[in-house]
Amino acid sequence: MVRFYFEVARTAFRRQLIYRWANLAGLLTNIFFGAVFSYVVIALFHTRPAVAGYNVSDTLRYTWLVQAMVMVVLTFGWYDLMLTIRSGAVISDMSKPCDFYWYWFSREYGRNIYYLFYRGLPTYLAGMLLFGFGAPGDWRYWLAFIISLLLGATVGIAYRMLYNAVAFWSLEARGIGTLFVVIALFFTGSYVPIPFFPHWALGIMQWLPFNALINVPTEIVLGKISGNTILFELARQLAWAIILTLIVRLVISIAARRVIVQGG
Amino acid sequence: MIENMLSDLRLYLHLLRMQWRAQSQYKMNRAIDIGSYFAVTSLEFVGVLVYFGPFPSMLGWHVGEVAMLYGVMSIGFGFAELFGAGIDNFQDTIRLGEFDRVLLRPVSSFVQVAGSDFRLRRLGRISQGCITFVIALRLLPDLHWTLAKFIALLLGIASGSVLFLSVLLLGATLCFWTIETTELVNILSYGGRDMLSYPINIYNQAMQRFFLFVIPLAFGSYVPTCYVLGRPLPFGLPGEAVFASPLVALAFALSAGAIWQFGVRHYQSTGS
Repeated sequence: MVRFYFEVARTAFRRQLIYRWANLAGLLTNIFFGAVFSYVVIALFHTRPAVAGYNVSDTLRYTWLVQAMVMVVLTFGWYDLMLTIRSGAVISDMSKPCDFYWYWFSREYGRNIYYLFYRGLPTYLAGMLLFGFGAPGDWRYWLAFIISLLLGATVGIAYRMLYNAVAFWSLEARGIGTLFVVIALFFTGSYVPIPFFPHWALGIMQWLPFNALINVPTEIVLGKISGNTILFELARQLAWAIILTLIVRLVISIAARRVIVQGG
Repeated sequence: MIENMLSDLRLYLHLLRMQWRAQSQYKMNRAIDIGSYFAVTSLEFVGVLVYFGPFPSMLGWHVGEVAMLYGVMSIGFGFAELFGAGIDNFQDTIRLGEFDRVLLRPVSSFVQVAGSDFRLRRLGRISQGCITFVIALRLLPDLHWTLAKFIALLLGIASGSVLFLSVLLLGATLCFWTIETTELVNILSYGGRDMLSYPINIYNQAMQRFFLFVIPLAFGSYVPTCYVLGRPLPFGLPGEAVFASPLVALAFALSAGAIWQFGVRHYQSTGS
């Protein structure tokens, strides 16, 4: 069965390879937004040398790491599951002799891996070339980063399944979906690096699941979280991955009992 | 000529009324849509505010000034999104071969495309822009208002909408050749919007020139806001350049329209 899920992931990865031009256009978009945010950051740091332990090149790295990971962890505008619910195709996926959640999970993981190599890496490299901030160094941080990114991507898949599952109750739920994604982007550092938030807000935000998506891996690779705190953060990510996965599976099992297929 | 334009306008208003009535059938959905879009755009603005917690200013621009710029840009962009939804969806029209049907009808193809959609949810962004503007006024109590500034602001917002609409039209025109490359167009429309949320003097010279003189989106928000705030413009442009905004917008819209016409003439159906 593991082999089956692996093949599903591999197929999803290969399907993505076809969209070369679309990926190139998306890459340019990521680079453009990265550049805009970089100029904002550079302009702000004219007044102060450092904020919350971040100087200007740390913050630039943060910005580009987020840009590089957005498509891997929090695909914007992902309504694939929602569309199958609307078209009725969801029923054929549900009847497949495999677990419905793990089927979608494998598909999405295959895509995530694609985006890691074909979108994330080139985005960060472009940022390095344009703004000359270099890569963060220590290999131990990179090791922890990879684990953290895998966990973040797992949370991300559960999250996108969750807001797509809204379609079981309301067929046109794209507006809600956008809101879900924007909330997650906001609370995981895509608009403003999380360390720049006021103290009282940080206390709350660190306990939200969104923190596990992109902010934790980024802070780890930048060496802003170190020692035993890394283990604690990884454990917290793992906890969110398990909790959200269980919630989504519960929601889907409730939906499966009352699903009405459209069309025919 | 005039008669043609009047009948086009009548048709357009009729199409809008149909969209309005259709979307009003689902009152709950409409309310959720507008509300969620308001929340989305407000979060974007809160993001800007959070930056001004640790940092006092952005190259001399204080929080109230950036908020005013943001509000002006949001209102202009919001109207463009509201009226330009049909243009924004144009790639679907092309991909499904629907444009063949549009061309067969004896009325302007542009009016049909523009009137094919009207997104009430975009009211969410316009209301966010208005609220942001009010917040900016509260943060800038010493601002001295004159009639000229007021007029400049209204002209700027109207020009901004026309400019953003023209950018959307250029993006739609691209679909004649590429069938779909939405993301590249997003750089100009959504990228331009995000970029112009901040004072453009923070960007490098090439980007500033591009958004002032090539795709003159800055005339819709940055130039009028600078005039209201009494700030100098880059490249030695006089503050009064703001009163040229409608002309700039008109010239840009006419060029976009000409390119659109060119695209229509070179349209080859996707077929299937």
